[in-house]
Amino acid sequence: MADTRKTSPALEVRNVARRYKSSGRGVEGLSLTVEPGEVFGLMGPNGSGKSTLLRVLSTAIAPESGTFRIGGVDGLKERRKARAKMGLMVDRPTHYGDLTGRANAYLFARSYGMEEGKAEGVLEELFDYFGLAEYGDDRAKTYSYGMGKKLALIEAMAHGPELLLLDEPSLGLDYTSQLAYQKKIRELAAAGVAVLVASNQVDEVEAMCDRVAFLHRGRLIALGTPESFVSSLEGTRRIVATLRNPVEYGALEGVPGVERVATEGRDLVVHCAQRPGIVADVVAGLIDAGGDITDLAVRRPSLEDVYVKLTGEALRDYEA
Amino acid sequence: MRLNPPDAYWKKDATLFFSKRFALLIKMIYPMALIVPVAVSDIPAQYAAAVVGIVAVMAGTFGAGESLTADLNDGILVRIALTPLSPRRIVFEILAINAVLDFIQLLPALLLVYVLHPAPLVWVLAATFGVFATLVTANCIGIFIANFTSSPADVLLYATAILAPLIYVSGFFRNQNPTGISATLRDFVPFAYMNDALKAVFGLAGEAGAVPFEVFVYPGIIAAVLAFGVCLTGPRLLSPRF
Repeated sequence: MADTRKTSPALEVRNVARRYKSSGRGVEGLSLTVEPGEVFGLMGPNGSGKSTLLRVLSTAIAPESGTFRIGGVDGLKERRKARAKMGLMVDRPTHYGDLTGRANAYLFARSYGMEEGKAEGVLEELFDYFGLAEYGDDRAKTYSYGMGKKLALIEAMAHGPELLLLDEPSLGLDYTSQLAYQKKIRELAAAGVAVLVASNQVDEVEAMCDRVAFLHRGRLIALGTPESFVSSLEGTRRIVATLRNPVEYGALEGVPGVERVATEGRDLVVHCAQRPGIVADVVAGLIDAGGDITDLAVRRPSLEDVYVKLTGEALRDYEA
Repeated sequence: MRLNPPDAYWKKDATLFFSKRFALLIKMIYPMALIVPVAVSDIPAQYAAAVVGIVAVMAGTFGAGESLTADLNDGILVRIALTPLSPRRIVFEILAINAVLDFIQLLPALLLVYVLHPAPLVWVLAATFGVFATLVTANCIGIFIANFTSSPADVLLYATAILAPLIYVSGFFRNQNPTGISATLRDFVPFAYMNDALKAVFGLAGEAGAVPFEVFVYPGIIAAVLAFGVCLTGPRLLSPRF
Protein backbone atom coordinates (compact mmCIF):
# COMPACT_ATOMS: atom_id res chain seq x y z
CA MET A 1 0.00 0.00 0.00
CA ALA A 2 1.35 3.43 -0.92
CA ASP A 3 2.39 5.86 1.76
CA THR A 4 -0.17 8.64 1.28
CA ARG A 5 1.85 11.08 3.39
CA LYS A 6 4.68 11.10 0.92
CA THR A 7 2.57 11.30 -2.21
CA SER A 8 -0.41 13.43 -1.22
CA PRO A 9 -0.48 17.21 -1.03
CA ALA A 10 -0.88 18.50 2.50
CA LEU A 11 -4.13 20.12 1.39
CA GLU A 12 -6.13 19.56 -1.74
CA VAL A 13 -9.31 21.59 -2.25
CA ARG A 14 -11.60 20.85 -5.19
CA ASN A 15 -14.51 23.08 -6.21
CA VAL A 16 -15.57 23.93 -2.69
CA ALA A 17 -18.68 26.07 -2.46
CA ARG A 18 -20.43 27.38 0.62
CA ARG A 19 -22.75 30.38 0.82
CA TYR A 20 -24.41 31.78 3.94
CA LYS A 21 -28.10 32.12 3.31
CA SER A 22 -28.37 35.15 5.58
CA SER A 23 -25.75 37.31 3.85
CA GLY A 24 -25.18 35.58 0.52
CA ARG A 25 -21.44 35.70 1.23
CA GLY A 26 -19.17 32.67 1.16
CA VAL A 27 -17.01 30.86 -1.37
CA GLU A 28 -17.78 29.48 -4.81
CA GLY A 29 -16.00 26.82 -6.91
CA LEU A 30 -12.75 27.21 -5.04
CA SER A 31 -9.82 24.90 -5.77
CA LEU A 32 -6.26 25.02 -4.53
CA THR A 33 -3.43 22.78 -3.42
CA VAL A 34 -0.87 23.29 -0.68
CA GLU A 35 2.22 21.11 -0.67
CA PRO A 36 4.08 19.96 2.45
CA GLY A 37 6.54 22.63 3.53
CA GLU A 38 4.71 25.37 1.63
CA VAL A 39 3.41 28.57 3.20
CA PHE A 40 0.32 29.60 1.28
CA GLY A 41 -1.33 32.99 1.76
CA LEU A 42 -4.98 33.85 1.27
CA MET A 43 -5.70 37.51 0.68
CA GLY A 44 -8.93 39.37 0.15
CA PRO A 45 -11.00 42.07 1.82
CA ASN A 46 -13.58 41.39 4.52
CA GLY A 47 -16.35 39.23 3.09
CA SER A 48 -14.20 37.82 0.31
CA GLY A 49 -14.49 34.28 1.70
CA LYS A 50 -11.20 33.72 3.54
CA SER A 51 -12.74 32.86 6.89
CA THR A 52 -15.50 30.82 5.27
CA LEU A 53 -12.91 28.73 3.45
CA LEU A 54 -10.98 28.18 6.67
CA ARG A 55 -14.19 27.21 8.47
CA VAL A 56 -14.90 24.61 5.80
CA LEU A 57 -11.33 23.28 5.85
CA SER A 58 -11.33 23.13 9.65
CA THR A 59 -14.46 20.90 9.34
CA ALA A 60 -16.49 23.40 11.38
CA ILE A 61 -19.02 23.69 8.55
CA ALA A 62 -19.68 21.44 5.58
CA PRO A 63 -19.44 22.77 2.04
CA GLU A 64 -22.54 22.70 -0.16
CA SER A 65 -20.43 21.07 -2.86
CA GLY A 66 -16.85 20.12 -3.52
CA THR A 67 -14.32 18.07 -1.60
CA PHE A 68 -11.07 18.56 0.24
CA ARG A 69 -8.36 16.24 1.50
CA ILE A 70 -5.85 16.87 4.26
CA GLY A 71 -2.72 14.77 3.95
CA GLY A 72 -4.70 12.34 1.79
CA VAL A 73 -7.56 12.08 4.30
CA ASP A 74 -11.05 13.02 3.10
CA GLY A 75 -12.08 16.06 5.14
CA LEU A 76 -15.78 15.29 4.73
CA LYS A 77 -15.89 11.55 5.30
CA GLU A 78 -13.09 11.20 7.87
CA ARG A 79 -13.42 14.42 9.77
CA ARG A 80 -11.79 13.32 13.02
CA LYS A 81 -8.76 11.93 11.20
CA ALA A 82 -8.51 15.16 9.22
CA ARG A 83 -8.77 17.23 12.43
CA ALA A 84 -5.92 15.26 13.96
CA LYS A 85 -3.67 16.29 11.07
CA MET A 86 -4.26 20.02 11.38
CA GLY A 87 -3.56 22.84 13.76
CA LEU A 88 -6.10 25.59 13.81
CA MET A 89 -6.18 29.20 14.86
CA VAL A 90 -9.50 30.94 14.42
CA ASP A 91 -9.80 34.68 13.82
CA ARG A 92 -11.24 35.40 17.28
CA PRO A 93 -9.60 32.89 19.61
CA THR A 94 -11.29 32.23 22.94
CA HIS A 95 -10.08 30.40 26.01
CA TYR A 96 -11.37 29.23 29.34
CA GLY A 97 -10.80 32.45 31.23
CA ASP A 98 -10.69 30.86 34.68
CA LEU A 99 -8.04 28.34 33.63
CA THR A 100 -4.42 29.40 33.36
CA GLY A 101 -2.90 29.92 29.94
CA ARG A 102 -0.82 26.79 30.42
CA ALA A 103 -3.86 24.73 31.44
CA ASN A 104 -5.74 25.90 28.36
CA ALA A 105 -2.87 24.91 26.09
CA TYR A 106 -2.43 21.60 27.90
CA LEU A 107 -6.11 20.75 27.48
CA PHE A 108 -5.83 21.32 23.73
CA ALA A 109 -2.55 19.41 23.42
CA ARG A 110 -4.04 16.40 25.21
CA SER A 111 -7.25 16.67 23.19
CA TYR A 112 -5.08 16.20 20.11
CA GLY A 113 -3.71 13.02 21.65
CA MET A 114 -0.29 14.20 22.85
CA GLU A 115 1.38 12.19 25.58
CA GLU A 116 1.55 13.90 28.97
CA GLY A 117 5.33 14.30 29.14
CA LYS A 118 5.68 15.36 25.52
CA ALA A 119 2.87 17.89 25.87
CA GLU A 120 4.51 19.46 28.91
CA GLY A 121 7.91 19.65 27.18
CA VAL A 122 6.62 21.13 23.93
CA LEU A 123 4.40 23.65 25.71
CA GLU A 124 7.24 24.81 27.91
CA GLU A 125 9.33 25.40 24.81
CA LEU A 126 6.56 27.26 22.97
CA PHE A 127 5.58 29.40 25.97
CA ASP A 128 9.21 30.37 26.26
CA TYR A 129 9.54 31.04 22.51
CA PHE A 130 6.50 33.32 22.40
CA GLY A 131 7.41 35.13 25.60
CA LEU A 132 4.48 33.79 27.60
CA ALA A 133 6.45 31.65 30.05
CA GLU A 134 6.16 34.10 32.94
CA TYR A 135 2.41 34.48 32.34
CA GLY A 136 1.72 30.78 31.84
CA ASP A 137 0.24 30.38 35.31
CA ASP A 138 -1.96 33.47 35.07
CA ARG A 139 -5.63 33.01 34.30
CA ALA A 140 -6.35 33.41 30.61
CA LYS A 141 -8.94 36.09 31.33
CA THR A 142 -6.11 38.38 32.47
CA TYR A 143 -4.39 38.11 29.08
CA SER A 144 -4.29 40.99 26.64
CA TYR A 145 -5.64 40.47 23.11
CA GLY A 146 -2.13 39.88 21.77
CA MET A 147 -1.29 37.38 24.52
CA GLY A 148 -4.51 35.53 23.73
CA LYS A 149 -3.44 35.35 20.07
CA LYS A 150 -0.05 33.95 21.07
CA LEU A 151 -1.75 31.37 23.27
CA ALA A 152 -3.95 30.39 20.32
CA LEU A 153 -0.84 30.04 18.14
CA ILE A 154 0.72 27.76 20.74
CA GLU A 155 -2.46 25.67 20.86
CA ALA A 156 -2.42 25.39 17.07
CA MET A 157 1.23 24.34 16.83
CA ALA A 158 1.89 22.24 19.93
CA HIS A 159 0.73 18.85 18.69
CA GLY A 160 2.90 18.93 15.57
CA PRO A 161 0.24 19.16 12.85
CA GLU A 162 0.90 18.43 9.17
CA LEU A 163 -1.19 21.43 8.16
CA LEU A 164 -1.63 24.73 9.96
CA LEU A 165 -4.75 26.79 9.24
CA LEU A 166 -4.29 30.32 10.54
CA ASP A 167 -6.85 33.10 10.30
CA GLU A 168 -5.35 36.59 10.72
CA PRO A 169 -2.68 35.18 13.05
CA SER A 170 -0.54 38.27 13.49
CA LEU A 171 -3.32 40.82 13.93
CA GLY A 172 -2.86 42.30 17.40
CA LEU A 173 0.67 40.98 17.89
CA ASP A 174 3.39 43.44 18.74
CA TYR A 175 6.26 43.83 16.28
CA THR A 176 8.66 41.53 18.13
CA SER A 177 6.01 38.83 18.43
CA GLN A 178 5.18 39.18 14.73
CA LEU A 179 8.80 38.53 13.84
CA ALA A 180 8.95 35.57 16.24
CA TYR A 181 5.77 34.15 14.75
CA GLN A 182 7.04 34.54 11.17
CA LYS A 183 10.33 32.87 12.09
CA LYS A 184 8.48 29.98 13.71
CA ILE A 185 6.28 29.54 10.64
CA ARG A 186 9.32 29.39 8.38
CA GLU A 187 10.94 26.86 10.73
CA LEU A 188 7.85 24.68 10.68
CA ALA A 189 7.64 24.93 6.90
CA ALA A 190 11.30 23.91 6.63
CA ALA A 191 10.37 20.85 8.70
CA GLY A 192 7.65 19.94 6.21
CA VAL A 193 4.57 21.52 7.76
CA ALA A 194 2.16 23.10 5.29
CA VAL A 195 0.68 26.43 6.31
CA LEU A 196 -2.43 28.12 4.98
CA VAL A 197 -2.63 31.63 6.33
CA ALA A 198 -5.45 34.07 5.74
CA SER A 199 -4.05 37.54 6.21
CA ASN A 200 -4.20 41.01 4.78
CA GLN A 201 -0.90 42.04 6.37
CA VAL A 202 0.89 42.73 3.08
CA ASP A 203 4.42 42.79 4.50
CA GLU A 204 3.86 39.54 6.33
CA VAL A 205 2.47 37.70 3.30
CA GLU A 206 5.22 38.99 1.03
CA ALA A 207 7.91 37.97 3.52
CA MET A 208 6.51 34.64 4.56
CA CYS A 209 4.43 33.05 1.81
CA ASP A 210 5.67 30.90 -1.03
CA ARG A 211 2.44 31.38 -2.93
CA VAL A 212 -0.57 33.60 -2.51
CA ALA A 213 -4.16 33.41 -3.74
CA PHE A 214 -6.44 36.42 -4.02
CA LEU A 215 -10.11 35.99 -3.19
CA HIS A 216 -12.76 38.37 -4.47
CA ARG A 217 -16.43 37.93 -3.59
CA GLY A 218 -15.94 34.25 -2.81
CA ARG A 219 -13.96 33.36 -5.89
CA LEU A 220 -10.26 32.74 -6.39
CA ILE A 221 -9.22 35.34 -8.94
CA ALA A 222 -5.45 34.91 -9.05
CA LEU A 223 -2.81 32.57 -7.71
CA GLY A 224 0.98 32.85 -7.89
CA THR A 225 4.13 33.77 -6.04
CA PRO A 226 4.30 37.17 -4.32
CA GLU A 227 7.34 38.04 -6.44
CA SER A 228 5.57 37.30 -9.72
CA PHE A 229 2.57 39.37 -8.70
CA VAL A 230 4.63 42.34 -7.63
CA SER A 231 6.91 42.18 -10.66
CA SER A 232 3.82 42.17 -12.89
CA LEU A 233 3.36 45.74 -11.68
CA GLU A 234 6.86 46.73 -12.76
CA GLY A 235 6.69 50.25 -14.06
CA THR A 236 4.07 51.42 -11.61
CA ARG A 237 4.54 53.39 -8.41
CA ARG A 238 2.54 54.11 -5.32
CA ILE A 239 2.68 57.67 -4.01
CA VAL A 240 1.42 57.98 -0.45
CA ALA A 241 0.70 61.49 0.76
CA THR A 242 -0.26 62.21 4.35
CA LEU A 243 -2.43 65.31 4.47
CA ARG A 244 -3.27 67.61 7.32
CA ASN A 245 -6.66 68.31 5.79
CA PRO A 246 -9.05 66.38 3.54
CA VAL A 247 -9.10 67.55 -0.09
CA GLU A 248 -11.22 67.06 -3.17
CA TYR A 249 -8.82 64.94 -5.20
CA GLY A 250 -10.86 64.32 -8.36
CA ALA A 251 -8.60 66.54 -10.43
CA LEU A 252 -5.62 64.33 -9.62
CA GLU A 253 -7.08 61.55 -11.74
CA GLY A 254 -6.55 63.80 -14.76
CA VAL A 255 -2.79 63.93 -14.23
CA PRO A 256 -1.12 61.92 -17.05
CA GLY A 257 -0.03 58.49 -15.76
CA VAL A 258 -2.29 58.45 -12.68
CA GLU A 259 -4.30 55.23 -12.63
CA ARG A 260 -6.21 55.38 -9.36
CA VAL A 261 -6.54 57.68 -6.37
CA ALA A 262 -7.94 56.46 -3.05
CA THR A 263 -7.90 57.41 0.60
CA GLU A 264 -6.46 55.05 3.18
CA GLY A 265 -7.16 56.59 6.56
CA ARG A 266 -5.42 59.97 6.63
CA ASP A 267 -3.31 59.06 3.60
CA LEU A 268 -4.07 59.71 -0.01
CA VAL A 269 -2.71 56.91 -2.17
CA VAL A 270 -2.00 57.52 -5.83
CA HIS A 271 -1.30 54.54 -8.08
CA CYS A 272 0.51 55.73 -11.16
CA ALA A 273 2.83 54.81 -14.00
CA GLN A 274 6.52 55.32 -13.49
CA ARG A 275 7.56 58.30 -15.64
CA PRO A 276 9.88 61.25 -15.10
CA GLY A 277 8.17 64.12 -13.30
CA ILE A 278 5.07 62.31 -12.19
CA VAL A 279 5.75 62.80 -8.48
CA ALA A 280 6.10 66.54 -9.00
CA ASP A 281 2.89 66.59 -11.03
CA VAL A 282 0.99 64.71 -8.33
CA VAL A 283 2.33 66.97 -5.59
CA ALA A 284 1.41 70.04 -7.66
CA GLY A 285 -2.07 68.62 -8.18
CA LEU A 286 -2.46 68.10 -4.44
CA ILE A 287 -1.31 71.61 -3.61
CA ASP A 288 -3.63 73.05 -6.27
CA ALA A 289 -6.47 71.12 -4.61
CA GLY A 290 -5.63 72.84 -1.29
CA GLY A 291 -3.81 69.90 0.28
CA ASP A 292 -1.33 70.50 3.12
CA ILE A 293 1.16 67.64 2.78
CA THR A 294 2.82 66.55 6.03
CA ASP A 295 4.52 63.45 4.68
CA LEU A 296 5.19 61.97 1.27
CA ALA A 297 6.51 58.58 0.23
CA VAL A 298 7.04 56.91 -3.13
CA ARG A 299 6.89 53.16 -2.75
CA ARG A 300 7.33 50.15 -4.94
CA PRO A 301 4.12 48.23 -5.69
CA SER A 302 2.93 45.70 -3.14
CA LEU A 303 0.41 42.86 -3.11
CA GLU A 304 -2.16 45.43 -2.09
CA ASP A 305 -1.63 47.21 -5.41
CA VAL A 306 -1.90 43.88 -7.20
CA TYR A 307 -5.32 43.37 -5.63
CA VAL A 308 -6.39 46.88 -6.58
CA LYS A 309 -5.30 46.27 -10.15
CA LEU A 310 -7.10 42.92 -10.30
CA THR A 311 -10.39 44.05 -8.81
CA GLY A 312 -10.46 47.83 -8.71
CA GLU A 313 -11.20 47.52 -4.98
CA ALA A 314 -9.07 48.03 -1.90
CA LEU A 315 -7.76 45.03 0.00
CA ARG A 316 -8.35 46.50 3.41
CA ASP A 317 -11.01 48.64 4.98
CA TYR A 318 -9.65 51.91 6.22
CA GLU A 319 -11.30 54.17 8.70
CA ALA A 320 -12.08 57.51 7.16
CA MET B 1 -5.14 11.13 38.96
CA ARG B 2 -4.60 14.86 38.70
CA LEU B 3 -7.27 17.32 37.67
CA ASN B 4 -5.18 20.39 36.98
CA PRO B 5 -3.93 21.02 34.35
CA PRO B 6 -6.87 19.21 32.79
CA ASP B 7 -6.23 16.63 30.10
CA ALA B 8 -9.90 15.90 29.43
CA TYR B 9 -13.02 18.00 29.10
CA TRP B 10 -14.60 16.66 32.29
CA LYS B 11 -11.46 17.48 34.25
CA LYS B 12 -11.70 21.05 33.01
CA ASP B 13 -15.19 21.33 34.50
CA ALA B 14 -14.06 19.69 37.75
CA THR B 15 -11.05 22.00 37.98
CA LEU B 16 -13.21 25.08 37.47
CA PHE B 17 -15.76 23.80 40.00
CA PHE B 18 -13.20 23.35 42.76
CA SER B 19 -10.86 26.24 41.90
CA LYS B 20 -13.12 29.16 42.80
CA ARG B 21 -13.45 28.88 46.56
CA PHE B 22 -16.08 31.53 47.19
CA ALA B 23 -18.27 30.27 44.33
CA LEU B 24 -17.78 26.73 45.63
CA LEU B 25 -18.90 27.81 49.09
CA ILE B 26 -22.07 29.38 47.67
CA LYS B 27 -22.73 26.31 45.52
CA MET B 28 -22.46 24.05 48.55
CA ILE B 29 -24.50 26.29 50.83
CA TYR B 30 -27.49 27.07 48.63
CA PRO B 31 -28.96 23.53 48.54
CA MET B 32 -28.52 23.38 52.33
CA ALA B 33 -30.23 26.76 52.69
CA LEU B 34 -33.24 25.45 50.77
CA ILE B 35 -33.44 21.88 52.04
CA VAL B 36 -32.39 22.04 55.72
CA PRO B 37 -35.19 24.39 56.88
CA VAL B 38 -37.66 22.07 55.22
CA ALA B 39 -36.07 18.99 56.78
CA VAL B 40 -36.20 20.41 60.31
CA SER B 41 -39.75 21.74 59.96
CA ASP B 42 -42.90 19.70 60.46
CA ILE B 43 -44.43 20.29 57.04
CA PRO B 44 -46.13 17.23 55.51
CA ALA B 45 -43.66 14.62 54.25
CA GLN B 46 -44.86 14.75 50.65
CA TYR B 47 -44.11 18.48 50.44
CA ALA B 48 -40.72 18.10 52.12
CA ALA B 49 -39.90 15.44 49.51
CA ALA B 50 -41.18 17.74 46.77
CA VAL B 51 -38.90 20.60 47.85
CA VAL B 52 -35.83 18.35 47.80
CA GLY B 53 -36.91 17.03 44.40
CA ILE B 54 -37.44 20.51 42.94
CA VAL B 55 -33.97 21.61 44.09
CA ALA B 56 -32.44 18.56 42.36
CA VAL B 57 -34.40 19.07 39.14
CA MET B 58 -33.59 22.78 38.91
CA ALA B 59 -29.91 22.35 39.78
CA GLY B 60 -29.48 19.73 37.09
CA THR B 61 -31.40 21.40 34.29
CA PHE B 62 -30.14 24.94 34.68
CA GLY B 63 -26.58 23.91 35.52
CA ALA B 64 -25.83 22.05 32.31
CA GLY B 65 -28.03 24.16 30.02
CA GLU B 66 -26.71 27.53 31.13
CA SER B 67 -23.02 26.63 31.26
CA LEU B 68 -23.30 24.92 27.88
CA THR B 69 -24.95 27.88 26.16
CA ALA B 70 -22.38 30.21 27.71
CA ASP B 71 -19.52 28.10 26.34
CA LEU B 72 -21.24 27.81 22.96
CA ASN B 73 -21.70 31.57 22.75
CA ASP B 74 -18.10 32.09 23.69
CA GLY B 75 -16.98 29.85 20.82
CA ILE B 76 -14.63 27.84 23.01
CA LEU B 77 -16.75 24.70 22.91
CA VAL B 78 -16.90 24.78 19.10
CA ARG B 79 -13.12 25.13 19.07
CA ILE B 80 -12.77 22.11 21.38
CA ALA B 81 -15.08 20.20 19.06
CA LEU B 82 -12.62 20.83 16.20
CA THR B 83 -10.02 18.66 17.93
CA PRO B 84 -10.10 14.95 17.08
CA LEU B 85 -12.31 14.27 20.13
CA SER B 86 -15.68 12.80 19.31
CA PRO B 87 -18.46 15.37 19.84
CA ARG B 88 -20.58 12.59 21.37
CA ARG B 89 -17.83 11.90 23.87
CA ILE B 90 -17.56 15.59 24.72
CA VAL B 91 -21.30 15.74 25.36
CA PHE B 92 -21.11 12.60 27.47
CA GLU B 93 -18.33 14.14 29.54
CA ILE B 94 -20.34 17.36 29.97
CA LEU B 95 -23.37 15.34 31.08
CA ALA B 96 -21.50 13.03 33.43
CA ILE B 97 -19.38 15.65 35.17
CA ASN B 98 -22.29 18.07 35.58
CA ALA B 99 -24.45 15.34 37.11
CA VAL B 100 -21.65 14.33 39.49
CA LEU B 101 -20.87 17.93 40.49
CA ASP B 102 -24.56 18.66 41.06
CA PHE B 103 -24.72 15.53 43.19
CA ILE B 104 -21.72 16.68 45.24
CA GLN B 105 -23.54 19.97 45.84
CA LEU B 106 -26.68 18.20 47.05
CA LEU B 107 -25.01 15.45 49.06
CA PRO B 108 -24.41 17.40 52.33
CA ALA B 109 -28.04 18.51 52.41
CA LEU B 110 -29.20 14.95 51.66
CA LEU B 111 -27.01 13.56 54.45
CA LEU B 112 -28.56 16.04 56.87
CA VAL B 113 -32.01 14.91 55.79
CA TYR B 114 -31.03 11.30 56.47
CA VAL B 115 -29.71 12.27 59.91
CA LEU B 116 -32.82 14.23 60.79
CA HIS B 117 -35.18 11.59 59.38
CA PRO B 118 -33.72 8.16 60.10
CA ALA B 119 -35.12 5.70 57.57
CA PRO B 120 -34.39 2.10 56.54
CA LEU B 121 -31.05 1.88 54.76
CA VAL B 122 -32.63 0.54 51.61
CA TRP B 123 -34.77 3.69 51.29
CA VAL B 124 -31.79 5.93 52.03
CA LEU B 125 -29.84 4.25 49.24
CA ALA B 126 -32.86 4.32 46.95
CA ALA B 127 -33.41 8.04 47.59
CA THR B 128 -29.73 8.78 46.96
CA PHE B 129 -29.78 6.84 43.71
CA GLY B 130 -33.11 8.43 42.76
CA VAL B 131 -31.63 11.91 43.24
CA PHE B 132 -28.64 10.99 41.07
CA ALA B 133 -30.86 9.59 38.32
CA THR B 134 -32.91 12.78 38.50
CA LEU B 135 -29.76 14.88 38.15
CA VAL B 136 -28.71 12.88 35.08
CA THR B 137 -32.18 13.29 33.60
CA ALA B 138 -32.30 17.01 34.39
CA ASN B 139 -28.86 17.54 32.85
CA CYS B 140 -30.05 15.66 29.75
CA ILE B 141 -32.94 18.10 29.51
CA GLY B 142 -30.55 21.06 29.89
CA ILE B 143 -28.26 19.72 27.15
CA PHE B 144 -31.24 18.97 24.91
CA ILE B 145 -32.45 22.56 25.31
CA ALA B 146 -28.99 23.90 24.43
CA ASN B 147 -29.46 22.31 21.00
CA PHE B 148 -32.15 24.86 20.22
CA THR B 149 -30.95 28.08 21.77
CA SER B 150 -27.75 29.92 22.44
CA SER B 151 -29.31 32.18 25.05
CA PRO B 152 -29.04 31.31 28.75
CA ALA B 153 -32.27 33.25 29.30
CA ASP B 154 -34.05 31.03 26.78
CA VAL B 155 -32.79 27.99 28.68
CA LEU B 156 -34.78 29.17 31.70
CA LEU B 157 -37.89 29.62 29.58
CA TYR B 158 -37.67 26.33 27.71
CA ALA B 159 -36.70 24.42 30.86
CA THR B 160 -39.75 25.73 32.68
CA ALA B 161 -41.96 24.67 29.77
CA ILE B 162 -40.51 21.16 29.82
CA LEU B 163 -40.20 20.71 33.59
CA ALA B 164 -43.62 21.95 34.64
CA PRO B 165 -45.57 19.05 33.07
CA LEU B 166 -42.92 16.52 34.17
CA ILE B 167 -43.13 17.76 37.77
CA TYR B 168 -46.92 17.56 37.59
CA VAL B 169 -46.84 14.03 36.20
CA SER B 170 -44.32 13.00 38.87
CA GLY B 171 -46.79 14.00 41.57
CA PHE B 172 -44.57 16.33 43.56
CA PHE B 173 -47.47 18.55 44.63
CA ARG B 174 -50.63 17.62 42.70
CA ASN B 175 -51.49 14.34 41.01
CA GLN B 176 -50.04 12.35 43.92
CA ASN B 177 -52.21 9.33 43.34
CA PRO B 178 -52.55 9.14 39.57
CA THR B 179 -54.61 6.58 37.72
CA GLY B 180 -54.93 5.48 34.12
CA ILE B 181 -52.74 7.15 31.52
CA SER B 182 -51.38 9.60 34.08
CA ALA B 183 -50.08 6.67 36.15
CA THR B 184 -48.54 5.09 33.06
CA LEU B 185 -46.81 8.35 32.12
CA ARG B 186 -45.53 8.69 35.68
CA ASP B 187 -43.70 5.37 35.32
CA PHE B 188 -41.53 6.92 32.59
CA VAL B 189 -40.39 9.96 34.58
CA PRO B 190 -37.32 9.37 36.80
CA PHE B 191 -38.35 12.31 39.03
CA ALA B 192 -41.31 10.24 40.22
CA TYR B 193 -39.13 7.44 41.58
CA MET B 194 -36.96 9.93 43.44
CA ASN B 195 -40.10 11.51 44.85
CA ASP B 196 -41.35 8.14 46.06
CA ALA B 197 -38.04 7.32 47.73
CA LEU B 198 -37.80 10.74 49.40
CA LYS B 199 -41.36 10.41 50.67
CA ALA B 200 -40.34 7.11 52.23
CA VAL B 201 -37.32 8.80 53.85
CA PHE B 202 -39.57 11.54 55.25
CA GLY B 203 -41.79 8.88 56.82
CA LEU B 204 -44.32 7.95 54.16
CA ALA B 205 -42.90 4.55 53.26
CA GLY B 206 -46.36 3.05 53.19
CA GLU B 207 -47.60 5.62 50.67
CA ALA B 208 -44.61 5.53 48.36
CA GLY B 209 -45.75 4.46 44.92
CA ALA B 210 -42.60 2.52 44.12
CA VAL B 211 -40.72 -0.19 45.97
CA PRO B 212 -36.94 0.20 46.45
CA PHE B 213 -36.18 -2.31 43.69
CA GLU B 214 -38.05 -0.14 41.17
CA VAL B 215 -36.17 2.97 42.28
CA PHE B 216 -32.86 1.21 41.69
CA VAL B 217 -33.77 -0.13 38.25
CA TYR B 218 -36.26 1.97 36.26
CA PRO B 219 -34.92 5.52 36.64
CA GLY B 220 -31.44 4.18 35.90
CA ILE B 221 -32.64 2.66 32.64
CA ILE B 222 -34.62 5.76 31.65
CA ALA B 223 -31.72 8.10 32.48
CA ALA B 224 -29.31 5.90 30.51
CA VAL B 225 -31.60 5.99 27.46
CA LEU B 226 -31.91 9.78 27.73
CA ALA B 227 -28.13 10.13 28.15
CA PHE B 228 -27.56 8.03 25.04
CA GLY B 229 -30.06 10.18 23.17
CA VAL B 230 -28.51 13.54 24.06
CA CYS B 231 -25.01 12.25 23.32
CA LEU B 232 -26.23 11.55 19.79
CA THR B 233 -27.01 15.25 19.43
CA GLY B 234 -23.30 16.04 19.98
CA PRO B 235 -22.35 16.80 16.36
CA ARG B 236 -25.28 19.22 16.01
CA LEU B 237 -24.90 20.75 19.44
CA LEU B 238 -21.21 21.49 19.01
CA SER B 239 -21.34 22.79 15.45
CA PRO B 240 -21.07 26.55 14.83
CA ARG B 241 -24.36 28.42 14.55
CA PHE B 242 -24.65 31.09 11.87
